[in-house]
Amino acid sequence: MTHAITLHDITKSYDGFTAVDEFSLEVQRGTVFGLLGPNGAGKTTLIKILTTLMRPTLGDAFVEGHSVLTAGKEVRRMIGVVPQENNLDRYLTARENLALHAKLHGMRPAAYNPRIDELLDMTGLAARQYDFPDTFSGGMQRRLVVARALVHEPRVLFLDEPTTGLDPQSRRSLWDHIRGLRRSMTVFLTTHYMDEADALCDRIMIMDHGKTLADGTAGELKDAFSRAHTYQVEFRRDADRYQGVLAGLPFVKGVERDGSLFQITLADEESIKPLMDHLTGPDIRRICLKEPTLEDVFISLTGEKVRE
Amino acid sequence: MFKGAFSIWGRDMLVLRRSIISELVSVIAYPLTLYLAFGFGLKGYITDVNGVPYPLFIAPGLISMTAVNAAFDESSWSMWFHRKVQRTIEEYRVTPVTVYDIVIGKIFSGFSQGAVKGTVVFLVILLLTPFRIEYAHLPMYLLCIALSSMTFSCLGTICGTVIDKPENIGRVQSVVIVPLIFMAGIFFPLSSYPPSILPLIQLLPTTAVFEGARDALLTGAIPSQYLVNLVLSAALCFTIAVYTFNRKMAE
Repeated sequence: MTHAITLHDITKSYDGFTAVDEFSLEVQRGTVFGLLGPNGAGKTTLIKILTTLMRPTLGDAFVEGHSVLTAGKEVRRMIGVVPQENNLDRYLTARENLALHAKLHGMRPAAYNPRIDELLDMTGLAARQYDFPDTFSGGMQRRLVVARALVHEPRVLFLDEPTTGLDPQSRRSLWDHIRGLRRSMTVFLTTHYMDEADALCDRIMIMDHGKTLADGTAGELKDAFSRAHTYQVEFRRDADRYQGVLAGLPFVKGVERDGSLFQITLADEESIKPLMDHLTGPDIRRICLKEPTLEDVFISLTGEKVRE
Repeated sequence: MFKGAFSIWGRDMLVLRRSIISELVSVIAYPLTLYLAFGFGLKGYITDVNGVPYPLFIAPGLISMTAVNAAFDESSWSMWFHRKVQRTIEEYRVTPVTVYDIVIGKIFSGFSQGAVKGTVVFLVILLLTPFRIEYAHLPMYLLCIALSSMTFSCLGTICGTVIDKPENIGRVQSVVIVPLIFMAGIFFPLSSYPPSILPLIQLLPTTAVFEGARDALLTGAIPSQYLVNLVLSAALCFTIAVYTFNRKMAE
């Protein structure tokens, strides 16, 4: 078996609302899998189902071969979870937080104490291990939550928006830790940050309204949804006149303007020649093909409208 | 089995140990004030009740009240806080422990808090006042306290599980718990009630708690009707608490 996670036609509905709709997925063992989607897309619902916090309405899911419906306890032995919000115990020190987690996994002090030392070193929290989490910065608390999820050496690690609210330095530091886990365990990550998915994930799935919209590596997604016929043109002069000209051309599908910089989407790649026929060379400061980003792919699939 | 419950209980006891002094000061102050105010303040007016000196009449009830209040407070607020504020219940639930481990751990934490705080108030009253007991009667009294603390710990767990707004836990305390305690004859004999109401009052679990405690301490025996009431209340509340928590977690 090479799949760490398998979902078979998972549906989750509550009060007439379908959060996840016949969702199927297989995640290869030892990879970093990224699940992307706007708010309310169903990402957290999926993580809750996979971590046995929530039962699916229909379908079944398996973690390392164990069903979330019939072998919840076995599933929970295999997983580590970093939830969206830090749920550290503020009345326990950093070390005690890790020790309690180890005890809940049935570990003995002889096994968990060296492991906790190792994790505190890895996350740079060794010097603060006897302090309470309330005295930690957001980044340190997040690192402690990650350390806690790793105490029992899980085979699958779930990270639900792990870097939301962190400053850039803390984000990068957490990325380094996640990169370090690659291959040693399967990582299932949800995020809003496209650069994060781009930097960390071997495979990315974009979902919305409980369904899959796209699936592949970051490169594959960019290629598949490439806006190869979108060009950026910057004019030296007569930008207003060119705006009118471009609006009248039948093969121009869209024009976005920012001062003298235009982003022009053509009907197809062949339209570049007739476009150039309508532009006067000396008026153009520069023209270039717009390389797609993962964010372009995401927006083109999920739309620009802000979700509640 | 119940290793998870033991770990959760161990966590709560560690936290209690850290703040034991401030906890005990606040817990002792209230019943001790009542004892001094009523026991000494009314001593000139009420010399004895059914042949029992008034300070001795109210002391067992005050000790029991401390225990059951502490059990209810710890269970309700702790469960609510861990579920809604700190969200540590969610952390426990992604480990191999079961929901039964969690709820039983929490119930025993409330029970332990009640037992510890009740014992300390007992010792303080013993130390600071002329209140004396027959030590041979202590085992039955402790049994009464244990069953009462278990009942109130389960009631607190139910409240902390189903109530989402903290102010509503306070309302349950002031509208349900406090009246149940004060109606149960801590400060006056049950014979003061009109005969038509008395049978209902005697059915209250709090009556079994306070009357049972007083009888246990003064005579060394818990009347059978109160003992049955205490055992049934504890068993019923425990079952409801476990069922309620299980249902809530499945939502």
